[in-house]
Amino acid sequence: MEENFEPRLVGFMCRWCTYQAADLAGTSRMKYPSNLIPIKVLCSSRVDPLWVLIAFMRGADGVLVAGCHPGDCHYQEGNYHTRRRFVLVKNVFDSLGLESERLRLSWISASEGRKFVEVTSEFIKNIKEKGPNPAKKAIFL
Amino acid sequence: MRGAIFKIEKDFDKEIRNFLKKTIVKKFFGAILIPCKVPANDSYAYLLIRDEALIEKASILPPVMPIQGGRVLKSFTRLGKIDAKVAVIMRPCEIRASIELSKLEQVDLTNVTLISVDCPGVIPLSDYLEDPVKGTDTFKEAFKTWESDSVRELCKVCYNFTLTGSDLHIGILGSEQGNLFLIPVSEKGRNLLDFFNINYENDISSWENIVKKKEDERKIKRKEFRENLRQEIEGIDNLLKTFSDCLNCHNCMRVCPICYCRQCFFDSDALNLPSTNYIKRAENRGSIKFPPETLLFHLGRMSHMITSCVSCGSCEDACPVSLPISRVFSFVAENVQNLFNYVPGMSVKDPVPTITYEEEELKEFENPYIETYNIQRM
Amino acid sequence: MSKTLYIDENVNDGIKKFLRCILENGKVKGVLTLINEGEKIAYSLISNPELIKYTVPLYPIMPLNAARSLSHITLSEPISEPIAVVIKPCEIRAFIELVKRSQGSVENIFFISFTCGGVYPIKMNVNGKINEKIDNFWRLIEKNEIDADLRASCKVCKEFIPYNTDMTIFLAGNKEINNQCRIFLNTDRAEDFAESTDGNIVQDKINTELIDELKVKRLEERKKLFEDKKIEKLGLEGLIDIFGRCISCHACGNACPICYCSLCYFDSQESEYKPVDYESELEKRGAIRVPPNTVTYQVGRLIHVGISCVGCGCCEDVCPSEIQLSTIFIKGSESIQEKFNYIPGKNPEELIPISTFDIKEFPEVET
Repeated sequence: MEENFEPRLVGFMCRWCTYQAADLAGTSRMKYPSNLIPIKVLCSSRVDPLWVLIAFMRGADGVLVAGCHPGDCHYQEGNYHTRRRFVLVKNVFDSLGLESERLRLSWISASEGRKFVEVTSEFIKNIKEKGPNPAKKAIFL
Repeated sequence: MRGAIFKIEKDFDKEIRNFLKKTIVKKFFGAILIPCKVPANDSYAYLLIRDEALIEKASILPPVMPIQGGRVLKSFTRLGKIDAKVAVIMRPCEIRASIELSKLEQVDLTNVTLISVDCPGVIPLSDYLEDPVKGTDTFKEAFKTWESDSVRELCKVCYNFTLTGSDLHIGILGSEQGNLFLIPVSEKGRNLLDFFNINYENDISSWENIVKKKEDERKIKRKEFRENLRQEIEGIDNLLKTFSDCLNCHNCMRVCPICYCRQCFFDSDALNLPSTNYIKRAENRGSIKFPPETLLFHLGRMSHMITSCVSCGSCEDACPVSLPISRVFSFVAENVQNLFNYVPGMSVKDPVPTITYEEEELKEFENPYIETYNIQRM
Repeated sequence: MSKTLYIDENVNDGIKKFLRCILENGKVKGVLTLINEGEKIAYSLISNPELIKYTVPLYPIMPLNAARSLSHITLSEPISEPIAVVIKPCEIRAFIELVKRSQGSVENIFFISFTCGGVYPIKMNVNGKINEKIDNFWRLIEKNEIDADLRASCKVCKEFIPYNTDMTIFLAGNKEINNQCRIFLNTDRAEDFAESTDGNIVQDKINTELIDELKVKRLEERKKLFEDKKIEKLGLEGLIDIFGRCISCHACGNACPICYCSLCYFDSQESEYKPVDYESELEKRGAIRVPPNTVTYQVGRLIHVGISCVGCGCCEDVCPSEIQLSTIFIKGSESIQEKFNYIPGKNPEELIPISTFDIKEFPEVET
């Protein structure tokens, strides 16, 4: 385990819920580590499973997909699809022995600034303990 | 011709690797693109290397050519060039494919220094994969004799195995005598050797003589190959028989460096006809192969890329049913290229024949009807 | 109890007799099946009943998954005339999966399949080598054994009894293939066709003893294969080892019946590395393979098609680098399909799991 390993995480966040929660966390001056790179999507179901894979293969130490709670999706059904797709990707990772713990799905609504901070901080802490993604240094990828 | 002479102890591979390491350390090149052994030690893949320590894993002349270098350079430079000079070490047919692709705007050679090597041929991929250790030994034999029966069919009759349109050529023929020849072909090549104060004004006729002898031998072999093949494939019946095992998998097109179309015409909707078409055809002939259009695909692909075919043989290596594709294509390529006096890949300045024209030419193909049938003009 | 057609010939001659009949009496305008033309075996659409005598409908060869070609000709509209197709169970399942994706239509197609004993790798079809193997293959069918030379995917296949056919020929699991041709009639149309030929239609029971035995053998092979290859322990390093010799030709995707995208993401400009990508990767890693995305393509393809993978093994057959793709894809897709309790191609009315959802499910996935 490397000392001073600062994870770099990618977070796909739905613009109606989670991204707003992140904004709320900011305006409320809640402190949390800055290792997560936010990517705004209109709905969590916009996230193609390939993006999660590509983020992982290009070296992201962790990938977070976050959106509205099931039932609250701005587009009615989007997050139900997100849920199934995430199950699929996690399953593929597990069946090939890739570290699926580096992938996370979370439902964070617009008012849950505190939850956003907690989820993100915990994820970063876990990944710090886990160590860097082996895909970061792989050459024959 | 003049060039530089390196005295080598044993391994030309090692000598060149050391030279390449120097070019990185002295910051002449920002990166090297060269084949390297893969982690499982059962094949080779091109690596773009900045860290000179990794050059240890590289091989100047691997026993196999899993991916044609033209495809590799296309992937590397199609969307633009990186902000550094890059040395690319490839076999002559890969260099020629890259130069063709440059004419077709798929490869950007601006920051690239092409370095070619004398090539005795490559072992077919499936033979090598059966036993990589044996494959390496077979290649060592092929390298010793330059007469091997274990290389690709096209390699056996190739006489373009040496100097080509690259910037610098490494002459390794005759390297058992302890000499390696570096021949600068272009200004880029001369700049490289100048930077390291390497004298390239030496007489290299010892190498030139061996090369000329080998080229002549191969030209004779090629003539024989052409005659035998012509008898085998001439005529519609023979052609159909030759391609009857074809699955329409289109592997050959996928591995061909010249076939760069994102979606091949023969994979497109143009050939997804409504079913009435197939049923009618089946009714007319009694039966049709399914999927049909096997020969159409091969001859069609031929008509699209044959002017630039560099006879590398990648197509035949990739065919799951071992069709003699590369031999057929190389045969026709030579015919067509001779018609236009065109040798693909020798210089970026030679335009591909189908993009250019003379106002007065090829008269013998015009008005055949009148002459053939001796029609009296009114 | 189901209706069965008995034809008084061995299984191969019997089915040929049937096919000839339905062509001659006009029940179908064409028959799609394997034909043996001078030692070369390929799928053919046959209109002339005289040519049926050259067909080899039950030969253990699959040049390319027929679902792909069937999809191409029924893409814009259903087949214009009734045709009969004699294809393997996995090809039918793949076609149903394509129909669910609006990539084809089953209308006017009379599906004939058989309890499948597997196919040989396509290299066996070169220069008619299959003809040397074929007698042994029939013998092994009679003995209910699995030939070690079959495709890896066939040796471990558990869905060798076809779904959604009009007729199913009793092949694997049948000791009597030399003396009888026994065909199960699954639809009214099948009965109608059967009545139009000479053959005996009876109501009888199927003795599934040998079929069950074969299924057990296949499941044992499957277990052995997965234990041997330990796919779930591969990890990134293992994947890099296996795909070290991948040449990114994407032939596997092209051969796969489920991969129907006319332009794959990994062939599109979107996935190409720009100079800035090469520079950043060089900076991070010291070196990068060119072309890139080798392992990414394979795992990405598994993610996209895994839910519908029918385990036909065409991917492995066309791979120029002889990578054991079908093992990886069968393991990966089995895992996905079990999670969603889905058998691809079994029920044409069942939506593909990834296109639908339940309001409450998989609560464990959220963290």
